[in-house]
Amino acid sequence: MRDKNPKAYIYINGKVVGTVEDPLSIVNEIRSARRKGMLSGEVNVSYNDKLNSVNINTDRGRIRKPYIIIENRQPKLTPDIIEKLKSREINFNYLLRNGIVEYLDAEEEENMLVALSEKEITDRHTHLEVDISSIFGFTINTSPYPEHNSLARHAMLANFTKQAQGLYATNFNQRFDSRAYILFYPQKPVVTTAAYDTVKMTNHPSGQNFVVALSTYYGYNMADAIVLNRAAVDRGLGRSMFYKTYVDEERRYPGGQRDKFKVPPPTADGYMGEHVYSKLSEDGIIEPEMEVSEGDALIGKVAPPRFLEENLGAGGLEEKMRDDTAVLKTGEKGVVDSVIFTESTGATKIVKVRIRSLRTPENGDKFASRHGQKGVVALIVPPEDMPFTSEGIVPDLLLNPHSIPTRLTFGHLLETLGGKAGAVNGEIVDGTAFAEAGSDRIEDYGKILQQHGFDSYGNEVLYDGMTGMPFKSQIFNGVVYYNRLYHMVSNKIQVRSRGKVQILTHQPTEGKARQGALRFGEMERDALIGYGASLLLKERLLDQSDKAVVLVCKDCGSLGYYDHIKKTTICPLTKGSNFVEVEISYAFKVLLDEIKSLHIMTSIKLNE
Amino acid sequence: MAKEDKNDRYLVDYGEPVGIIAAQSVGEPGTQMILRSFHLAGIESTISTSGLPRIIELVDAKKKPSTPITYIYLDEKIGKDFDKAAETLKKINEVRMNNIAKRVLENFSKGKIKVILDRQELESEGVTIRQVASKIDKALDLESKVEDNGVVVNMHTRNLKEIRAATINMMKMLVSGVEGAGKGTIRRDESTGEFYLVSAGSNIEGIMQVDGVDRTRTTTNDVFAIYRLFGIEAARNSLALELKKTLKEQKISVDERHLNLIADAMTASGTIKGVGRHGLSGEKHSVFARAAYEETLKHLIHAAAFGEVDPMRGVTENILVGKQIPIGTGSVKLVIKKGDMAKIKPQGGSK
Repeated sequence: MRDKNPKAYIYINGKVVGTVEDPLSIVNEIRSARRKGMLSGEVNVSYNDKLNSVNINTDRGRIRKPYIIIENRQPKLTPDIIEKLKSREINFNYLLRNGIVEYLDAEEEENMLVALSEKEITDRHTHLEVDISSIFGFTINTSPYPEHNSLARHAMLANFTKQAQGLYATNFNQRFDSRAYILFYPQKPVVTTAAYDTVKMTNHPSGQNFVVALSTYYGYNMADAIVLNRAAVDRGLGRSMFYKTYVDEERRYPGGQRDKFKVPPPTADGYMGEHVYSKLSEDGIIEPEMEVSEGDALIGKVAPPRFLEENLGAGGLEEKMRDDTAVLKTGEKGVVDSVIFTESTGATKIVKVRIRSLRTPENGDKFASRHGQKGVVALIVPPEDMPFTSEGIVPDLLLNPHSIPTRLTFGHLLETLGGKAGAVNGEIVDGTAFAEAGSDRIEDYGKILQQHGFDSYGNEVLYDGMTGMPFKSQIFNGVVYYNRLYHMVSNKIQVRSRGKVQILTHQPTEGKARQGALRFGEMERDALIGYGASLLLKERLLDQSDKAVVLVCKDCGSLGYYDHIKKTTICPLTKGSNFVEVEISYAFKVLLDEIKSLHIMTSIKLNE
Repeated sequence: MAKEDKNDRYLVDYGEPVGIIAAQSVGEPGTQMILRSFHLAGIESTISTSGLPRIIELVDAKKKPSTPITYIYLDEKIGKDFDKAAETLKKINEVRMNNIAKRVLENFSKGKIKVILDRQELESEGVTIRQVASKIDKALDLESKVEDNGVVVNMHTRNLKEIRAATINMMKMLVSGVEGAGKGTIRRDESTGEFYLVSAGSNIEGIMQVDGVDRTRTTTNDVFAIYRLFGIEAARNSLALELKKTLKEQKISVDERHLNLIADAMTASGTIKGVGRHGLSGEKHSVFARAAYEETLKHLIHAAAFGEVDPMRGVTENILVGKQIPIGTGSVKLVIKKGDMAKIKPQGGSK
């Protein structure tokens, strides 16, 4: 053991301010002063016995958490204080000022021993947790039964919650967010938690309570696929609206030129044809409630030409203009929801057009429960083909039972049971972490279910919708809160067989916005070589990509061209026209050009 | 009916792209190797590089492995006896002056260097002070004499530079063992009970000259050492063996013929060549294939300066221009063109 420095260093916010011989007395003095309200409650002090140092922290950025102070084995938060709190005679700040509750930071916490419940208090305990669930953070506490799920699933849940469609703002009708998703019939969850209510998530919910049966359905819900009930979808389950805003501005350019909102004249450069602008009104902007689809103009605009020379060519007559109209992007359609005119800080006119389109759940849309269990709709079944209970209840969603055991999301099962109990009882169920001491949640829910004539474990005989025969095994079902996530096929689907190519290489474009193709990359190329499929490879990489027929001079091997004025083919080197037509990739032609730019001459030698 | 030769069934078809298949077969399981690069808890000083770093080392044809190891097998009589094996180890173990020196005292005014030797070290390495002294005399051409617990070298000069240079040379001097053999340990083969030596060096040429070493079995992981001593065929085998061993250590199973192919390709020219820019890829015949790989400009300018003609026989260059590749279905050509058929006289016609 290292010799202890007889005097302990005192650090304030990490800086040494002095030494002290009896460190514990100064620590205790500061603490008692803080509890009496003589010092700010934001001061934290701790004694590190390994380094023999007193650390006083008053700066920002420390994570702190409130604890109830224990004195003489008695928590200072007594029942009569709780009564006073309930009657609003006193508030939380009173507790802080009077040394009933105090905030500890991570460093000071090391000096303390915190009891999780009043029962386990011993002489050594200094503090009591406000609630046992507060050993989790806020994010985890917004999910039901978090103590029954693995941490990995909690991380996924946090992601899915961000992606959920719901009622993100009640003034969404007045807002012009670039993208917005509004759930038609948001519900507050049957199973809720204390933290969920505290942040008033119940006031702007982002999901619906689904009746879920843990059952397979002819292989349609394998590997995280889910099966939905058509009747439920038709009645508004998961139905949402997608809003997208197009913005355009009348920009000013140096030299006094500026854009102008109007229906572009056919003389404008880049005019797309009359049919594109047919839905625009006289001022060049589309009217609300107009149905629009891919390629329709929304905001007609003309802009000055990009380069000055173009303008000079016009000879000062009618100013040459360029078409700069905002057009609805590929694959989109909907109804113009709202159009606004406004002004930027630079006093230029701005037009915003909001398009709305209905998003009924369809195959490929993504849903997730509050346990990190995501799934993609694989089938929407007519209600008559769905399994049903003896009471005639048809589940909204069929979840594959295989998705539970490997992911260790037992909270999902508990929510199914709790949700069912809450639904039959007509009450909201509390799913805050850790049941109250001495109570068993499964037993409690079982009792409620039994009172209403259900099996206490949530199992029921289900009947096959196709045959009407009962299934051999009972099927677990209940109510689970599901989020519809904003990943929807209708926003992502894209197809192409032939289409646009890049100007430089003559190869197909990439990306959805450019109607692009999927890249046949190096590794795919290797796979075909490895298979020995030489003609298939040539088809992919040449015929279906950038095939070009060039003229190769038989005499010098350089590439010739067709002179449209003289109407002959010409070799730039020999000036002759002794050519062979050769199929090469356009990329190779570009390569030859680039090599030429290095002042290296290339010549192609041909066989035969 | 001729009896089917079973071996023929395993022959590779004509035009099969064996190189690509080998690359894919090694590359696919190789991706897992990066993710879990575990190390075996090493015994003694002989922890060797393993996993991906070792594969890279082999494939790049590094002149010296980062951890050279020699497995020294002993003659039958010696191998059975631990003491005799230890005796042989002492002959091989590379011992330098600074390994056995306890203190070095340079007396610049008298022009003398005194080295006090560590008795324990001397004993464990099996050298006497007298031997050390004679070694100094012979190897460094100095005058030294034994003095109680060390040696004293009389320099007959008071030149500081000379004395210091002599000290440094002396400390580096090999006292006993084989140059470049490294430190070794004795191990026991559990199945045969035979003792063998493992040393952290790769001078097998030197080691094999030591009495009692079985020259037929002694080997090293240094491919170049094997190439220098035994030639290219042995180097090929060693290379393939090292690749197999490294993959096996990582519990990755790749058909050994893929690895043999890599070793063949690397040694086909008669020397060991790496697969990268300075090896196989940099020496392809096609200008385009080389330019497409690395140092595009260098190859294009070289091709221009020397008037290179691309024979268009490889894969890369044919894909580049958009021709059918000469691999698989593309490796066969029509001998008779469609138009030429008419010119051929029908067989069995009138005379």
